[in-house]
Amino acid sequence: MVLAFPDLYEVGMSNQGLKILYESVNNRPGMLMERAFAPGMDMEELMRAYDQPLFALESGKPLAEFDLIGFSLQYELSYTNVLNMLDLAGIPLYADQRGESDPLVVGGGPCAFNPEPLAPFFDFFVLGESEECLPELLAGLDRLKREAPDRKELLARLSAWEGIYVPSLYQPAYKEKRFSAIERTDSRAPAVISKRLVRDLDRAPYPTAPIVPYLQAIHDRAVVELFRGCSRGCRFCQAGYIFRPVRRRSRDKLVETAKQQIAETGYEELSLASLSSTDYPELEELINELDRSLYGEQVKCNLPSLRLDSYSIKLADRLHRGKRSNLTFAPEAATERLRRVIRKNISEAEIFSALNDAIDAGWQGFKLYFMIGLPTETEEDVEAIVDLCRRLRQYFRHKSSRKIGISVSVSTFVPKAHTPFQWEPQLSLPEVTGRQEILQKGFKKMPGIDLSWHDAETSFLEAVFARGDRLLAPALEKAWRLGCRFDGWSEHFSMPRWRQAFRETGIEPEDYALRRFGYDDLLPWDHLHCGVDKAVLIREHQKAFNIDKPEQGEAQ
Amino acid sequence: MTRIRFSFTRGEALKHISHLDMMRLIQRALRRSGLPLVYSEGYNPHLRFNLALPLPVNVTASEEYGEVILSDSVTPDQFMVAFGEQLPAGLDLTGAWIEDDYSAPALPSTVGAALYRATLVAEEGCRVDPVHYRQALDNLLSKEEILAPKTKKKKKKKVFVNVKPYIYEAYFNEPEKERPLELNMLLQTGSRGGVSPFFVIEQLEKELTVECNYKAHWELHRERLYQDQDQFLQPLSEGM
Repeated sequence: MVLAFPDLYEVGMSNQGLKILYESVNNRPGMLMERAFAPGMDMEELMRAYDQPLFALESGKPLAEFDLIGFSLQYELSYTNVLNMLDLAGIPLYADQRGESDPLVVGGGPCAFNPEPLAPFFDFFVLGESEECLPELLAGLDRLKREAPDRKELLARLSAWEGIYVPSLYQPAYKEKRFSAIERTDSRAPAVISKRLVRDLDRAPYPTAPIVPYLQAIHDRAVVELFRGCSRGCRFCQAGYIFRPVRRRSRDKLVETAKQQIAETGYEELSLASLSSTDYPELEELINELDRSLYGEQVKCNLPSLRLDSYSIKLADRLHRGKRSNLTFAPEAATERLRRVIRKNISEAEIFSALNDAIDAGWQGFKLYFMIGLPTETEEDVEAIVDLCRRLRQYFRHKSSRKIGISVSVSTFVPKAHTPFQWEPQLSLPEVTGRQEILQKGFKKMPGIDLSWHDAETSFLEAVFARGDRLLAPALEKAWRLGCRFDGWSEHFSMPRWRQAFRETGIEPEDYALRRFGYDDLLPWDHLHCGVDKAVLIREHQKAFNIDKPEQGEAQ
Repeated sequence: MTRIRFSFTRGEALKHISHLDMMRLIQRALRRSGLPLVYSEGYNPHLRFNLALPLPVNVTASEEYGEVILSDSVTPDQFMVAFGEQLPAGLDLTGAWIEDDYSAPALPSTVGAALYRATLVAEEGCRVDPVHYRQALDNLLSKEEILAPKTKKKKKKKVFVNVKPYIYEAYFNEPEKERPLELNMLLQTGSRGGVSPFFVIEQLEKELTVECNYKAHWELHRERLYQDQDQFLQPLSEGM
């Protein structure tokens, strides 16, 4: 099979999921996984000019010659690249146009939890974690191919497997252009598809000798995954919901894997990755053991996701060597009220004391991530971002003679499927722009603070597809035909082209991004189960608007 | 401490790798080799390692040099095995020896010139007439000055430098049947200024008087590095 990553090589090769899957298939005898990435626009032009079909990197064989093409779906704005790669490979775009000799096209990754806008282009999806599922699938596919008389029957039989979603066996219905129901067309397909879940990470495949790219990937380092899932339960965070429950790797396994990876790759940096790495129990002991076993190898360790608390600062400092430049944190919201709405439960006192510790330890500056457009947010909450930074700046001035740099990065909230905020509308484009202006004005008068923000239209498009249904598929195809590629890259993104695509296919994108769903509405992804019951999401959603009631415990 | 120098070739498989990528890949191969490496002291420890001269992208090479400092004594044979087996296809270790003279200058500062061979590869069914190219080369070399743009780091103003004296030699191979046209260039390089082989070819093509609709491209190869000793060029290999 080929694992196709719908973005550039240097982005795809930074994805740990790709490396895990590569290992999980290639360490099994009789199975092979090769890689393919989206060619840059200039390369695409040449490939088309020379009639060069898209090929797998390892063997150079055209994608169309493989049994199975698996797309890694990390991000809604890579969807046009998916279509482009299929087209460059000479594989018919729509699943129902593919013949017996065409490869099966499967999608997986976070976006497979609402793959409806892509449904007509895919033969099937794997819901959840694929590292155990893919080898099983490849082993079983051989037999299925011999036994099933044709592709259609093969897919119908496959649909009974755990975690497999065959969209052609589900027929959606619409009322006034809104999704209203979905019906199975084959009784073998389950009414609700449950996700695949790795029970024991210690026994799951994990790369010990990953490929070391010649060119510098975005993340060019060894990575061990401390745990999967996150116990924090931030209400906007899709990863926090779809990767539940929390499963840890043992310390012994982590140390062993780290040693192997460093010995096999020669990497000079090791990342201790997770959604919230400082939540790993006995993290200090782990770091001590890593220090001991990597002694003399000159390996720098880092923690990619720091919480704003003193413990995290202490650890970051402990790991750090060299100049203390910047630390990055994500308070997400600037008022305590709003942080409680999204369940990012840190108090302002904690923020100040954590940053205070960091300054004492010698750090030169901070990067702070905020979101605008969060549910219940008012303009006062946005002004509070400016105000918080102003007070931080004043505080640092009193405290330190050094110049402390603050950079503020502001993204726009995108409601995602399978989160407590999945019913919530996105803030309208003019309002988002208005709030970005509040920030620009506010920070204008504050030298030393560097403000950057995400393009509002890009986030809008992301929201359209994140909660989209199959009616979007023709618009997606149209946009691709109009030349849309790499929509997540600001230099390639073109909203006018997308507007034209929506217009010509009769889609009102606002009706997707700005729609408030009701609890009684059937959602386009309701037949896909993320492991958390809808009742739990509803309860969490309601709690977000009753923040005066005390929170109880952590998410399970 | 052992100062080891080594020579290697770069083939087609790795010719698209940039100099920084080469540095990274060789250092990682060294780190995998298990050899007793020495790191610099300080905040950002780095390997005591050098390549003689950056190899441009798209150029293969038959005699490149590098050096690395090791903390314990290691024989050249041990080095060849341990390091050699970590190198990817496309990089081949061809020799290793110990540099006893500890005061010997670092490799990069010893390189004074490099010999390149550019081969004109025509697409199938297309015949290149060498006469036009020979004429163009004569024209180019008869010029008093060949100006190359050079952007100074601080001032953004474009400055032109005469690179004619940096072209020590440039000549085509003797005509032979079935053998493509080859341009040999001995070019100055290093801290005293230099000229890129790509620039020389670009200038050569500008001198073509006949409109050549050839479907042909140049393939570059670096044959050898030279050190400049008392204005006398000596292959780098001879001093080692």
